[in-house]
Amino acid sequence: MWARDVEVMLGVWLIISPFVFVHSDEATLLWASDFAAGGLVATFAVLSYWRPARHAHLLTLLVALWLVAFGRFGAASPLPPGMQNEIVVGLLLMMFAISQLRDAAARRLV
Amino acid sequence: MSQSLRGFPAERADLSVVIPPWKHNPSAWSQRIPICILALVATVIAAYMAMYQWRIVDDVWDPVFGEQSRKVLDSDVAKQMYGWFGIHDAALGALAYLGDAIFGLAGSTRRWQYRPWLVILFGIDVIPLGLVSAILVVAQGTIVGYWCFLCLVTAAISLALVYMAIDEVYASLKLLYLVGKRTGSAKAVWLAFIGRPFESADQAAAEMVRRAA
Repeated sequence: MWARDVEVMLGVWLIISPFVFVHSDEATLLWASDFAAGGLVATFAVLSYWRPARHAHLLTLLVALWLVAFGRFGAASPLPPGMQNEIVVGLLLMMFAISQLRDAAARRLV
Repeated sequence: MSQSLRGFPAERADLSVVIPPWKHNPSAWSQRIPICILALVATVIAAYMAMYQWRIVDDVWDPVFGEQSRKVLDSDVAKQMYGWFGIHDAALGALAYLGDAIFGLAGSTRRWQYRPWLVILFGIDVIPLGLVSAILVVAQGTIVGYWCFLCLVTAAISLALVYMAIDEVYASLKLLYLVGKRTGSAKAVWLAFIGRPFESADQAAAEMVRRAA
C-alpha cells in the first residue's frame, strides 16, 4: 500500500530533521518530538502490513495532530524552521494516514 | 430494478456504472486522473512560490507582471497569514493541492458508494478551499494592488478542479440523501457515509445508476 510506504519515508525524514534543520541544543522538546513522532509513524506504517494490525496507521493521525499542534503553538511566531517542518509533515501525514487504495471489495452486505 | 446494478457483493458488482444526469461514471479513472495531474501541477507551482517565501529561491518567475509577484508574495496579507498559520500561505496551498491529488487517487471506481466520506472529504478539499483560494488571489490583486502570474494560474486550476470534481461529490451527497429519505434514520445516513454496506443503502445506490453504454 503506497500510503504506508510514504509514511515510512516521512517518519525517517522526521528522525533526520533535527540534523537537517540544525535544532538548537536547548530545543530538547523539539528534538524529542521529531525522534518520537518519526519512530512512531514509521512503526505504525510497517505494522499496518501485518494483518491483525492493519489499522495501525490510523494511530498516525494522533501523532500528526501532535506535530501540527506542537509545531504551531510550541514557539512564538515567526516559527523556527524545525517547527514549521513539524506542521508541514503533520499535515502531510494526516492526508496519507486516512488514505487507503482499496475500498469495499472485501466487505459483506449486512 | 436489475440485481446486477447492485454494489454488493462488491466482488460481483459492476464498478463502472453511469450516474444520470451524466453519461459517465464520476468515479472513473478517466474522470479522476486528469484532476490528480492538474492538482499536482498546482502543487508544484504553489511549492515554488512557498520556496520563494522561505527564500530558498531568491526570485520568483513572472513573465507578465514582473516584480509584482514578489510584492504579492511578500505583502502584508501574506505576512498576516504567515503569522496565523505558522507556515507560508503558498506552502498551505501546496499541501491542499497535494491533498486533492491524494484523495483523488484513493478508492475504487465505485467509491462514491463505497466510501462517501472520502469523496466528501475530497470535495471539501477541492470545492470550498478552491473557491477560497481563488477569491484570495483576486483579493490580492484588488486589495494589495499587484498581480502575480503564477497565483492566477493556480487560481484558474482551482476553479477547473471545482468544475471537474463536482459530479462525484454530487453522487455521494445524493446517495446519502436517498438513504435518509428511504430509512428516515440519521444512523443509517451515518453508516452509509462511512461506507458500511447494508441493504437499503445499496438499494438507494442501485436506484441512482444506469449501466454504462
